[in-house]
Amino acid sequence: MIEIWYALVALSLIAFAVNDGRNFGVGALLHALGYNAGERRAIMGLIESSWSWDEVWLVAAFGSLFLAFPKVLAIGLSGYYLAVFLLLWSLIVRGIALEMAAHVEDALWRGFWDALVTLASILLAIFFGAAFGNVVRGVPLGADGRMFLPFFTDFSARGTVGILDWYTILVALFTLALLAAHGATFVAHRATGAIAERANRAARRAWWVVLALLPVVSSGTRLVRPDFFTGIIHHAPAWPALLAIVLGLGAVFLGLRQGMERIAWIGSCWCIAGLLGGAAASIFPVMLRSTIMPAYSVTAYGGATARYGLGIALVWWPIAAALGICYWRIVARRYQARMPS
Amino acid sequence: MPDALPWHRLQFAFTITYHYLFPQLTMGLAPLIVLWKWLGLRTGEPHWDESARFWSRILGLTFALGVVTGLPMEFQFGTNWSYFSRYAGGVIGQTLAMEGMLAFLLESALIAALVFGERRFSRKAHFTVAAGVCAGAWISAFFILVTNAFMQYPKGYTLGIEGQLVLSDIGSYLFNAWTVVEFAHNQLAALVTAAFVVSATGAYYTLRGLHREQSRIFLTWGTAMGLGASVLVAWPTGDAQAKLVARHQEVSLAAMEGRFESGPMAPITMIGQPDVAAKRLDNPIRLPGLLSFLAYGTFHGNVRGLGAFPRELWPTEIELLYYAFHVMAGLGTLFVLLTAIGTALSWRGTLESRRWMLWALLLAFPFPFIANTAGWMTAELGRQPWLIYGILRTSDGASAVVSAGNAIFTLIGFCGLYLVLGILYLYMVSREIERGPGPAAPAPGEMAVTEGAQGD
Repeated sequence: MIEIWYALVALSLIAFAVNDGRNFGVGALLHALGYNAGERRAIMGLIESSWSWDEVWLVAAFGSLFLAFPKVLAIGLSGYYLAVFLLLWSLIVRGIALEMAAHVEDALWRGFWDALVTLASILLAIFFGAAFGNVVRGVPLGADGRMFLPFFTDFSARGTVGILDWYTILVALFTLALLAAHGATFVAHRATGAIAERANRAARRAWWVVLALLPVVSSGTRLVRPDFFTGIIHHAPAWPALLAIVLGLGAVFLGLRQGMERIAWIGSCWCIAGLLGGAAASIFPVMLRSTIMPAYSVTAYGGATARYGLGIALVWWPIAAALGICYWRIVARRYQARMPS
Repeated sequence: MPDALPWHRLQFAFTITYHYLFPQLTMGLAPLIVLWKWLGLRTGEPHWDESARFWSRILGLTFALGVVTGLPMEFQFGTNWSYFSRYAGGVIGQTLAMEGMLAFLLESALIAALVFGERRFSRKAHFTVAAGVCAGAWISAFFILVTNAFMQYPKGYTLGIEGQLVLSDIGSYLFNAWTVVEFAHNQLAALVTAAFVVSATGAYYTLRGLHREQSRIFLTWGTAMGLGASVLVAWPTGDAQAKLVARHQEVSLAAMEGRFESGPMAPITMIGQPDVAAKRLDNPIRLPGLLSFLAYGTFHGNVRGLGAFPRELWPTEIELLYYAFHVMAGLGTLFVLLTAIGTALSWRGTLESRRWMLWALLLAFPFPFIANTAGWMTAELGRQPWLIYGILRTSDGASAVVSAGNAIFTLIGFCGLYLVLGILYLYMVSREIERGPGPAAPAPGEMAVTEGAQGD
């Protein structure tokens, strides 16, 4: 039961990363892919109608975490107090900027909000990347089960760590490249004409950066958390995730080169899902890994609520998720038509 | 860290109060839009669809503000109230997750289709989209109100192995006397807000001689819905809520009424200021016996005053609680009067020529927001000093690791950000109101994506 809930929380986070991560990537590259106001409008039109649905998966992920692992949520969110609010404020700015730009036809007005979308999207990609790095690296959880992280300490990834150190910054930059590649692949898939060609070129470049950074991040992870790769070997669910990364990357490069952007886009989604899913499977069951002493870590088994509540939620959760995806599919089909440039 | 507690409380109070200004309007508007779209479908007359389209655009803006200001709410359980989250997450996490999965996924999938996508759907399908948005908004309210009701009247839980609360009976957690009454009372109050906003817009257009056909709809429907909802807010739902408070939060009722002494024939206080230090109510104007009757259905009901309870059980901000309750109840009474006059005049067909009444309706629109806020302050201050009534004290629920300075910093951050959001929202809504209802003009966002050439 606890394993299933761990998987469901991870799945919601994957849904958030694949869907809203794409919006961060598109937003970050808005000015690189759209040379004038008209082109930027066309690109924004690709994500305008779905960003709030995409963002709901973050709410769903934390709702599910709250439901199943309240202890993890309580320690994690209060320990990262300031960072959480910076992230929330950036999400607010991103959402409002997207909405405001859509409502008023005025070059200056739109220029301002477009710039804000780009800024907030870049920051969000970096913040979420750093957050992911923190989960893998671990937290300075003491014997009293408490922690409160400063933004940085000595930038080493051991002992009394801060939010930012060499490793989490590395993961943050990797995430920015990855989401930019993801977003560009999406634009290449859905746009037409000059924008699509530009997006295809940008996507290929960004994916090469991702490919170059991947071994760097992997060796960094091995240094920071030596049990990460043995975790992959010992946890079977991580194997298909690895396969998804490899096949996804293959599909991305093949699809972008052959002009089969749809294949590339699906590959991009699988690649991100594989990276997150593999990491989640590898670190199971440790949810908050203590950098002070392994014994202080909080595991899924130690952080979960009682069986009854988990069982009840297991009845409605899959139904709700299926319904939620259905609503979105039905609406999205109406928006699937390729846009004219 | 006791000195951080007031800041944690203030931040949650500020962010939730500000947030709730938006959902109360969306929840109230959504059923009206659904109804108008249905009438448009049935009669084929264009002005119903034009009304629905106009309010859908305002709903879209309001929804966006609701989304972005709602996002921090879920996270603040963990950031500022981590002990509470850890202690009660096994219960309240259930409904918070339900809200996201069962309501938000529905609402957010459909909202853009409602506001921008009318031409992508058949008329019937677009009506279904509106109904879906409405359902999502109301479902989400239900789950949040269950969460709140648990804090007021905890049901369906048991103690877990580490002494924390865990769910033991989903049925009585979701559906008990308190959740049902609180939901009905709150949703009707949201309808009052929307009714006043709609009738104020109708009054504004009429005063300026604009959009004759729609402003007549806005005035008629606004005042009629306002009257119906205002009456139902007071009775039976408000009355039932008060009886629940009287039965389960006796000391809160005493504080709401500024009552220090006990006994039967307890009066309702119309006006007066509680002096907590001296344990009395200054210059009161009272209606004898009414409080006993309202609380227990008989004039002989003994309404115990604050003096009958130990001090540590008293709500912590008695004066504020007293004012909040009286502002809510007073405004609620005025709403019934105003909408009754409005409905009577519109029934006789003379409302549009009574400029004084149009002015009154126009200027009245902020007051349901105030009444809703005051109602929530009554509920939440009345719950003090408990975070979960009778189980967990508010002072024990806050995050121990977050110091006062951190909480003040984020509170100030929210104040600044929300000030900007508020200005933007008012600017955008006033633009929509200036633009007014009209024939099917696609929203600009939509145009850029599709044709790009059609005039506005």
